[in-house]
Amino acid sequence: MLTQVVAGRVYDYSHCVGQYLGGMEWPGEGFVLPVSLAVSGEDTVYVLGRGCESTGTGAPLQPRAFGARVGKFKIGPLPGDEQHVTTFGSYGEAEGQFVWPAAIALDSSENVYVTDEWLGRISVFDRTGGFLRVWDAREMGEHGSGRPSGIAIDRDDRIYVVDRVNCRVLRYSVDGELLGSWGDRGSDPGRLDSPWGIAVDEEGYLFVADHRNHRVQQFTADGGFVRSFGSYGSGLGELNRPSDVVVDPEGDVYVCDWANDRVQVFDSEGVFIATIVGDAHDLSKWARMTVEANPDVQKARRRVETLEPEWRFALPTGVAFDRHRSRLIVADTQRYRIQIYNKLADYPEPQFNL
Amino acid sequence: MAKDDLALMAHLMRRAGFGAPNDELERRLSVGYEETVEQLLHPDGQAPVDEYELLRYQPWTWKPGTMSNPGPTSWLYHMITTRRPLQEKMTLFWHQIFATGVSKVDHWDEVADMIDMFRDKGLGNYRDLLVSVAKNPAMIFWLDNNENHAYAINENWGRELLELFSMGVGNYTEEDIRECSRAFTGWTIKHKLPRFPYGRFDWSFEYRPEDHDDSEKTFLGQTGRFNGEDIVDIVCRQPATARFISRHLYNFFVADDVQVPAWSDTPPRDPHAIEVLSNAFVESDYEMSSVLRVLFNSDFFKEARHDRVRSPAEVVVGTMRLVGGADFPIPGYGELARQPSYMGQDLLNPPSVEGWHTGDEWITSGNLVERVNFMSALVGDPTRPGVRSIVAELRGRGRLSPEKFVDATLDLMGALTVESRTRRQLLDHVSGEGDLVWSSERDVADSESRVLDLLQLIVAVREYQLA
Repeated sequence: MLTQVVAGRVYDYSHCVGQYLGGMEWPGEGFVLPVSLAVSGEDTVYVLGRGCESTGTGAPLQPRAFGARVGKFKIGPLPGDEQHVTTFGSYGEAEGQFVWPAAIALDSSENVYVTDEWLGRISVFDRTGGFLRVWDAREMGEHGSGRPSGIAIDRDDRIYVVDRVNCRVLRYSVDGELLGSWGDRGSDPGRLDSPWGIAVDEEGYLFVADHRNHRVQQFTADGGFVRSFGSYGSGLGELNRPSDVVVDPEGDVYVCDWANDRVQVFDSEGVFIATIVGDAHDLSKWARMTVEANPDVQKARRRVETLEPEWRFALPTGVAFDRHRSRLIVADTQRYRIQIYNKLADYPEPQFNL
Repeated sequence: MAKDDLALMAHLMRRAGFGAPNDELERRLSVGYEETVEQLLHPDGQAPVDEYELLRYQPWTWKPGTMSNPGPTSWLYHMITTRRPLQEKMTLFWHQIFATGVSKVDHWDEVADMIDMFRDKGLGNYRDLLVSVAKNPAMIFWLDNNENHAYAINENWGRELLELFSMGVGNYTEEDIRECSRAFTGWTIKHKLPRFPYGRFDWSFEYRPEDHDDSEKTFLGQTGRFNGEDIVDIVCRQPATARFISRHLYNFFVADDVQVPAWSDTPPRDPHAIEVLSNAFVESDYEMSSVLRVLFNSDFFKEARHDRVRSPAEVVVGTMRLVGGADFPIPGYGELARQPSYMGQDLLNPPSVEGWHTGDEWITSGNLVERVNFMSALVGDPTRPGVRSIVAELRGRGRLSPEKFVDATLDLMGALTVESRTRRQLLDHVSGEGDLVWSSERDVADSESRVLDLLQLIVAVREYQLA
């Protein structure tokens, strides 16, 4: 449904942005496997594209790829109100490049931090995309050299990075100084297995997508276990390999329920509230341009029984919450777009028996 | 005796899998040959490949794009990392027979879905598999059954079902093809959303009764209002089908034979083996695992050492499993997945509905260079865990004479047996530098280099091109 009224909240589908570019390295009007999002004021959204390997080197295990980059966009409240601002980063191992870009976050100066879970480093850019610095985050742990995955930055610019190999959280300064770490591998409460995304809430609590344990765990900033959200399954409130998490200013927790192709919403106590499965019944502005320019695509769309498969998320990987607009943004990874839901504070319910 | 047992186990694992390193062979030997066959025939005893691990790190492998993208990557990842080698080998077997290609289908993901179906059903019942193939969207599009209407027959699927998928040329008439095709009218595909603007969606099978010719048909001497599944039932009961599938099994698992187009007028290389396999096929009601049990435990299989040229897929997968380092979906898997195509086997994109010609036809001057270069680059890479393990094992044995050096290395590459002439040549190559020694730092560096050199030489010898 486009509008969900549930447990005193209203989630109202707004619109989507993006399109599949068919293997093209276009800079603006689409994403290549968007996996992570970061939002600042004034409708600015940074979208991190994972990129796609392509062929051409001929040598075994010598990768070539396209689309590993950050796109900066202005995304207004209305459908079609989006503008490409700039694109930065590219595939490679040089400074300012990525091989496996995994997650993105902003500090209080709107500097952009990108983790690379293959090269094991964190790259920092300014808001225009200018490269600032990079640091090696392959901290040694019990299971070997670590690899950074999810990243979150609190209001005091403390940087929290998930080490997926050693199943722990690392804390850095903005300059890349390691300030501490906690966590280890396991399935008991407080332990992690192949963690992925991470979020920090208004009060400084951390939420980690505990990927292989099929749950999200809440911790204090120094790693004290608080509570767990979800358990394995595909039912309401259950999770299958969560990939990311975000918390809104009211404490509601949004979990990217990756392998179930949906987002699950919990309240701050861990009580299940809602499931969002994707509602992109309209084409994005850029997608509409593509369709309108291709008569055969238009005809092919008219001969299908239903367009509904197109509305739904496909392995959504990242979530962000835009506090300025009170809206949830989902990286609908395999559909090469983002979907946006407004969380409405003031929603006049229409007459029930209309 | 133990050495021969090890060689036999290596033979089994080359055929029922993609080869195995020495330590795995030793492990399996402790279980025994027949029990290993049973383990291979019951893949559920081992954990499946974790596809989500691949999708997390290489998300582009989900419904990959068309020609320029590395479509077979997911399958290659399965073959390299599987603990169920026979399951993947049977998948390869069926892809060779029910050859369906992206060159026409134009959706890697649809052909890949067919591969998943082979993985799921390939060790099961042939009749069920044939019905699944007939309903598979990639196959329907590949052989135009979506153009096969009650009012206008298209015979492409009907013809290939009889010619290449079950009985073989000479066992049916043109009239049978027509009647067979009529029975499959109405078997079509539901339209899907186009690839733009949001990527790939799935086709699904659809039966349209209004487009099915439900009138009486006469097929292979039987008359009735046959639908597609009735045709499959009749086809499965034909002795020609048992022979045809058995020849394929023999050619794929036992020894290279002449190619399919010659089967109608060239007797099998081993008629007795075909009879044994055909009987097993019929007696088991077409259960492939039962036929394979007979095959792997037969003398004709055990005696057929190095009687097959390894296919490019076997070369690439076998090499990666030997040298290691690709258990995790590392960057570069896309290019790795293209390697078999450079050697003449473009997975998910066979040259025609007949699949690839095998045996000696895998070897051309260009393809041979490609395969040797590929293997040589990898076994010569000292950072590979499998290579490091071979070096460490040799070092652990201390000073080795040239003879022991060569024999031990052949063993460590999977109990490889070579002709005496080949062994002599390898020996000539290493003898010039005397014994392999590890006494000083310089010795270690030199010896490591000599080991890599020998490994690279071994992958270039004739026997290593054979399975």
